[in-house]
Amino acid sequence: MYKALSDVFDQVIRECNEHNAQFQSLIRKMVEQNLDIETTRNDEHYGAAVHHLSLLRNKRCLMAYMYNRAEVIQSFRWKIGPVLPHEIQEKLQFSEKEYFKNHSAVIKSYMSEMDIDLTVDMVPPKDPYIQVRVLEDIGEVSLGDHSISLTKNSLHFLRRTDTEQFISQVTSSVLVLPGHEELEKPHAF
Amino acid sequence: MAGQSDPHLSIFSPSEVEFVAEDEIVEIVPNIRMEALNMICGDFGPFFPQIPSKVPLWLAVALKKRGKCTIRTPDWMAVDRLTQVLDAERESPKEFQPLPFHYIEISKLLFDHARDDISDAYLVRSLIEDIRDVRFHKVETGLETISGRTHAVKLKNLSAMEVNIVRPFMVRTLQAFYKHDSPQMIQQADNTGSRTTPVTDRGPRRDLRRSLNLLTVFE
Amino acid sequence: MSSWEDDDSAAAAAAAAATTDVELLKRAWRNEKASPEILRFDSALVSRVREQIQLLEETLDDFGESGVDDLVVSLYQMDLDRTLFLLRSYLRLRLQKIEKYMMHISKSEDLLSRLSQQEQRFAKSCTEMMEKHLEQSVLSKLPYGYDSVTRQSLSSTEDDMVPEPQLDTFVFCKTKSDVGAFQLDDIGEEVVDLVADDLYVLRYKSIKGLVESGQIDLI
Repeated sequence: MYKALSDVFDQVIRECNEHNAQFQSLIRKMVEQNLDIETTRNDEHYGAAVHHLSLLRNKRCLMAYMYNRAEVIQSFRWKIGPVLPHEIQEKLQFSEKEYFKNHSAVIKSYMSEMDIDLTVDMVPPKDPYIQVRVLEDIGEVSLGDHSISLTKNSLHFLRRTDTEQFISQVTSSVLVLPGHEELEKPHAF
Repeated sequence: MAGQSDPHLSIFSPSEVEFVAEDEIVEIVPNIRMEALNMICGDFGPFFPQIPSKVPLWLAVALKKRGKCTIRTPDWMAVDRLTQVLDAERESPKEFQPLPFHYIEISKLLFDHARDDISDAYLVRSLIEDIRDVRFHKVETGLETISGRTHAVKLKNLSAMEVNIVRPFMVRTLQAFYKHDSPQMIQQADNTGSRTTPVTDRGPRRDLRRSLNLLTVFE
Repeated sequence: MSSWEDDDSAAAAAAAAATTDVELLKRAWRNEKASPEILRFDSALVSRVREQIQLLEETLDDFGESGVDDLVVSLYQMDLDRTLFLLRSYLRLRLQKIEKYMMHISKSEDLLSRLSQQEQRFAKSCTEMMEKHLEQSVLSKLPYGYDSVTRQSLSSTEDDMVPEPQLDTFVFCKTKSDVGAFQLDDIGEEVVDLVADDLYVLRYKSIKGLVESGQIDLI
């Protein structure tokens, strides 16, 4: 995701308004000459057509740009979570931040209506227990009925579902990554 | 996000293809006694020591990892069978040999988790790799036979992982041809159409079976 | 319309008798993944699977109290995890498809009728949020006559700015039983003989009906 191009964006909007002004004035000229706007094919008509089509092209570009960014932004809810890290936040326009919030709320209300969390289980499960290595200190974490201390470089056998909240956060600073999934579950059973 | 291939063309991730393959049934020989498992995905067992039992691959692997069984290598993974398949793959450049739809994933999972249960594991592995390579090469060659008149392709015996790999190329190629081609219907001169179909005959029937067994390309 | 639904439920009932719900859900998941458009939501199937999940969750809780062997517990847990993944992935996949074509879906009663009630609300709210965003960021800054979200300008005679799925894309599919000669186009020039278990690459549009009636599986 790149920073929103507000300067270029505003420039294209200005261009749109200029095209519209030109378009209107050409049409006005035709009206003043008592020409039928629908059928007349004179210089003014073709000039107006060029301005109209240029405006459409600009609009399509602006919309495609915004729409594509919006699609990326909505995918963040699935890939990152309900709170965006600062480095992404600062690339978004006000309206985009609002959109992310609103869209996340829509997903959230679907999930609560259905009573199911769709932000976990992003990849197919393996064994319910996996070994993880903690990359950076996370501290005391409560996992259901017990809590464990996730200190840097420590190895743990955890339920896959308990680790996912840490694994799916792509923020670089605090992570638990799955280590050697191939390793056996401890000999508890 | 930038530069990512069209997510609609890569539909299944390799781990998802593997997930599906894990439901394939294999035979295990338990070394424990265990009651029947009545699971959402089906009923399995009861299990008795040394009595073979059929279970999904994921369950077999889980029991194996916990030291509770050996997994019987499927018949098609025997050295002589694979040697035959490899020879046949090489001899018929226009045909794929029948193998399980998930042969790549199944063999990978067995190599990863039950290597000690496979006799001649090293040889079996290299045979499967060779078979895979020969088949991929054929897929590539087959792709070249797609043309503007291709509106359907038949891929007899292509496996799941092979489908997944060839999909983006195949779909993009077919779409491109379709797009450039669709305005006018194309006349087809070399009509072998000896086949009759119950569909009303209208105009020249186009070549239905330009018979490449590998990729039967319907044009 | 009603006869359609009768056929559907009859087919579903017949299929359900032969296979597990999780197998049916897996098929729905695969079809949904591979199809360019949103398919019909099978509410009955989803609630059956959810019931089974709940039942197993309760059983697992009981196991915990009654001291059932850890091995058995972990195997049931895997069965539960696999089913949960499939369910979540399926529901998520549908939401993401709805996100992609929200405006297209929201304006069509036919498409909306394929969604669950919760999905319908999701589609409508998504569209509202997207329109609000585009309104704020682009449309409100454009001259009168060019400020519609669905049309390029007042001179557009139909919605020409709504992203919609490409139905003439190519998909990989497999038939469960012989379908016989199948017509791919409207005029009978493109006919393919669909044989059970063979794999084809066909235009989605032409086999859409077979997917809906459950005669063909997308892979």
